[in-house]
Amino acid sequence: MTTELLSANHAAAAAAALAGRANRVGRGFGGGVYPITPQSECMERLCDERFDKGQVVRVESEHSAMAVCIGFSIAGARAFTASSSNGLAYMTENVFTAAMSRLPIVMMAVNRSLGPPWNIWAEHGDTLMLRDAGWVQLYCEDNQEVLDSILTAFRLAEDRRVLLPVMVCQDAFILSHTMTPTDVPSQETVDAFLPPLDLPHRLSDRPRTVGALDGPRETEVPRAEMQRAMDDVPRVYAEVQGAFEATFGRRLADPVVPYRMDDAEIALVSIGTTAATVRAVVDEARARGVRVGGVRIRMFRPFPEDTLRQLLSRCTRVGVLDRDLAPGQGGIVWSEVRPAAPQGSIVQNYIVGLGGGDIRPKDVARILDDLCARERAGKPQFVEVG
Amino acid sequence: MASLEIRLHGRGGQGGVTCAKILAAVWAGLGKSVQTFGDYAGERSGAPVRAYTRVSDEPIDDRNKVYEPHHLLVLDPTLLGEHVLQGLRPGGTLLLNTEEPIEAFGDRFLRHRLAVVDATAIARRRKIGTRSVVIVNTTIAGAFVRAAGLPFEALEAAYRRLGFTGNLDAAREAWDAVAIREARDVDAKAPVFAPPATAPVLPLVAHVEGAPTGLRTGSWRSQTPRYVHALAPCSAFCPAGNDVIGFVQAVAEGGAQQASEVLARTTPLAGVCGRVCPAFCMEGCNRREHDGAVDVRALERWIADTAPIAPRAERASAAPRRFAIVGGGPAGLSAAFELARHGHEATVFDGERALGGVLRTGIPSYRLPRAALDREIEALLALGVKTSLGAFLDRDRVAALAREWDAVILATGLQRLRGVTERDDLPGVEQGIRFLHRVNMEGSVRVTGHVVVLGGGNTAMDCARVAVRAGASRVTVAYRRGREEMPAIRDEVAEAEQEGVVFELLRQPLGFEGDERVRGVVLAEVELGPPDASGRRSPVVTDRRSTLSCDHVLLALGQTADLRLLPEGWALREGRAFARDAPVNVFAAGDLATGDGTVAHAIGDGRRVARLAMRAVGPELAEVEELRRPDRARAVAATEIRFDHFPKSPPLGERHVPADVRVRGFDEVNLGVGDPAAAAHRCCSCGECTRCDSCLVYCPEGIIRREAGGYAIDLEYCKGCGICVTECPRAAITLKTPKEMHA
Repeated sequence: MTTELLSANHAAAAAAALAGRANRVGRGFGGGVYPITPQSECMERLCDERFDKGQVVRVESEHSAMAVCIGFSIAGARAFTASSSNGLAYMTENVFTAAMSRLPIVMMAVNRSLGPPWNIWAEHGDTLMLRDAGWVQLYCEDNQEVLDSILTAFRLAEDRRVLLPVMVCQDAFILSHTMTPTDVPSQETVDAFLPPLDLPHRLSDRPRTVGALDGPRETEVPRAEMQRAMDDVPRVYAEVQGAFEATFGRRLADPVVPYRMDDAEIALVSIGTTAATVRAVVDEARARGVRVGGVRIRMFRPFPEDTLRQLLSRCTRVGVLDRDLAPGQGGIVWSEVRPAAPQGSIVQNYIVGLGGGDIRPKDVARILDDLCARERAGKPQFVEVG
Repeated sequence: MASLEIRLHGRGGQGGVTCAKILAAVWAGLGKSVQTFGDYAGERSGAPVRAYTRVSDEPIDDRNKVYEPHHLLVLDPTLLGEHVLQGLRPGGTLLLNTEEPIEAFGDRFLRHRLAVVDATAIARRRKIGTRSVVIVNTTIAGAFVRAAGLPFEALEAAYRRLGFTGNLDAAREAWDAVAIREARDVDAKAPVFAPPATAPVLPLVAHVEGAPTGLRTGSWRSQTPRYVHALAPCSAFCPAGNDVIGFVQAVAEGGAQQASEVLARTTPLAGVCGRVCPAFCMEGCNRREHDGAVDVRALERWIADTAPIAPRAERASAAPRRFAIVGGGPAGLSAAFELARHGHEATVFDGERALGGVLRTGIPSYRLPRAALDREIEALLALGVKTSLGAFLDRDRVAALAREWDAVILATGLQRLRGVTERDDLPGVEQGIRFLHRVNMEGSVRVTGHVVVLGGGNTAMDCARVAVRAGASRVTVAYRRGREEMPAIRDEVAEAEQEGVVFELLRQPLGFEGDERVRGVVLAEVELGPPDASGRRSPVVTDRRSTLSCDHVLLALGQTADLRLLPEGWALREGRAFARDAPVNVFAAGDLATGDGTVAHAIGDGRRVARLAMRAVGPELAEVEELRRPDRARAVAATEIRFDHFPKSPPLGERHVPADVRVRGFDEVNLGVGDPAAAAHRCCSCGECTRCDSCLVYCPEGIIRREAGGYAIDLEYCKGCGICVTECPRAAITLKTPKEMHA
């Protein structure tokens, strides 16, 4: 293991390369890549890597990038790509194809606003738009978590009980371009953690058609299998956490990460890096005697409703911070968290930090004040930062 | 909370984000927790960029930008304003990259610890950056580390980890150079740098009113692109001082006539040089690094043959002076040319009955057909040059000329011939120069049997190849060093070999055998020792000897200047004669003065000395510019040429008559270039704009437009990104700092 001063983009690329090489005794590694800010650094670094078996292919669009991943994966190779924002929008057709084909592809997605107006900064709507594509989704909070999650994602995706693609998400610039000292494991330890991929339905010397026209039953049965595979993900994830800790000696974050929630009556729920700012505000409010806690949703698909229900069971007030907007509905996280909150509790939605607005402790403190003062929940509130 | 926060302001392309990373790496190396990130704005080079570094003893959990920095770095002084200073804590360090000395800031920033350094100048001097833009980050980091009170060793360690050790010296220079003024009045109320008012955001579906406000990106610019005429290496390498790139480009643009006019400004002898020059221009040609030099010599010859050089007087002198030139070789002719072009009377004295000197008496006609030489001499006479032929001058006559004429230029070349022993007068032994003179001036000279030529220069090659043509059954060249050390033009050596000449290398002649007539040459074997003053390995003569039997020996062992032409008590200093210590209006040009040994050198020196003479004869001629020897070091280097703009197309070279045909006579063997236009179009035009539009095409702002003869850049919008400079295939644009723009 070495400690390097890395951006989360470079950390992701380093993890993908390690995972790719770990499959050198299998069918190798590959992926299609296409640049888009703020992900380009990741693919640039990956393009500098050389693999004994397989290669990174520079293509002309995100749609093709995912198509190349699908090709590598169905041939039994470990496949990886990275994208963001409008690139993900363009890739979407094949994002669905990858999942419906049950291919254990891993994608690093940098969360960035969808334009217009053209905006390159953090917003979660791009990957949340893909929440129904059949991918496992993990949202990260720091650089080390990005690297660890890429390695984890391959193990999780390739588990026979899962065989679903995994998207590892991180906030634009706040993580993607921020450099912190990051532990990069050795190839040997990654080899130990990631056995060669043995894809059961990979192409072989017996020709067959992949993704052919099929009837209703041939469609609904595999869909139901996908749902069952998603149901298995939390259990498999827990096993992977154990293996990760045994191999790398550090704990991998849970699907839901509570902070000072044991006796909390008020909860602030968020995803991504907003959780760090929430923690600072929780500490400050706790010092004043406010019984508030933070909840970070790390795994958004499958959605950890049961865990959330348990965590929020004593809460009377739940504030959900969304760095995204589904116009006509409100925050996407809020709309999914709502059913998990206790009956009769106030569940208020705050739309904050769109387009990369810097969500500072004073902004979250204002949200907490608003939440504490409410008699009932209202429509989603837009919070201007700065 | 982080214990230390740093904010950095720069412009896209200056390396600000990497600078912040360097600072983080320094503290990480000191065992601190660090975090560093950029705040990317328009993602355009030149656009304002912020970067941040946090340092703490605890793990850093802060995901916000830095609003109240302890230290502030400003990489570009044009950014300095209240936006930039916003939030800087009283007592905090403000490090500025600026040309201004610290005193220039007067009582500004008194509540802050002010540090200033001219990192741009240091980085520029050390050539740190891209091919167009200076990058200051690794330099200014040295100043910062000092201002922050950290040991320089911490920066050294960080540069080792980051692979930046090549820039350590620049950082050290900035460390030494940074000026620091301590903060005063820290307890006083800090200056209020109010945040800028935020404009309300209009609804997207509102009616658009008025013209949109333009973003004047010109205000981002710290350096300005400028079209330049940079010195092309071919021109820099030409000893004759020809505008080589000018005549090659003239062929490409306008053909032979236009090119001939370019040449006629600097040389009367283009058709000669186009045949006999070693082509220093091609040695310097940057295209050698790509696919081979441009066929410049062949082009020069083609121009002179197609559109003969017709020199014109530049001006009619109001007070013509009379100059006597002694010697009608290339230096003398060139001096006469220069004087006549300036409207003066130039008379060339020569002992032969025709002008040309060694061009006529020495160089064989298969290399230089007499028609080509005569044509250029006639053109020179048409310019008004007068002659006095058929009588050699002695020192008394020279002294008389010095009295009677405004000035005298001596250009008699190298008249003293080296020999082997006192038996050089043995029948069958002859100086090569005399042999060539006989052949060239008397015609139909025959030799028989085995001819041995002693020497390795161009005279040796001429003697050997003439001997082949004059009937020798066998010709051997014996030379005391190796093939690499031969001073002869390489092509001449190769052509001699093709014609059957045999080379005996590493052989020192000691003497001759034979009583009545030479029967053989005694040669000692030579081993090569360490390099001598000329850089060539010096021969060490062994005692292993042999005799090469032969019928004729031609001596081509070198020539030196014969200064017996100078009156008693006179001496030459840098081309001018001094009678005792007083300068007289007698000058020396060409080989007599320099011994450089090529026609091209003689032409350049002839013109240079002609100008010296003009400036010396009268105060009214003082405005005649001195000619300087070309400075090769200033020439555009191959690394500055974007060869990816030039598809590979190797040179076609010169065409030659087959060896078995050419040895039958004295007809010209080199047929020159086959496709002159194609040869000229291979020229990269180093340092000279060809209006290729690369700058216009690549400018990300789209603000370069064609203008008469070139381009204009709209400086309202040019942000100084340097992409035009980077993309220019031929280094004809450079970036200038404001100071350089004023200069």
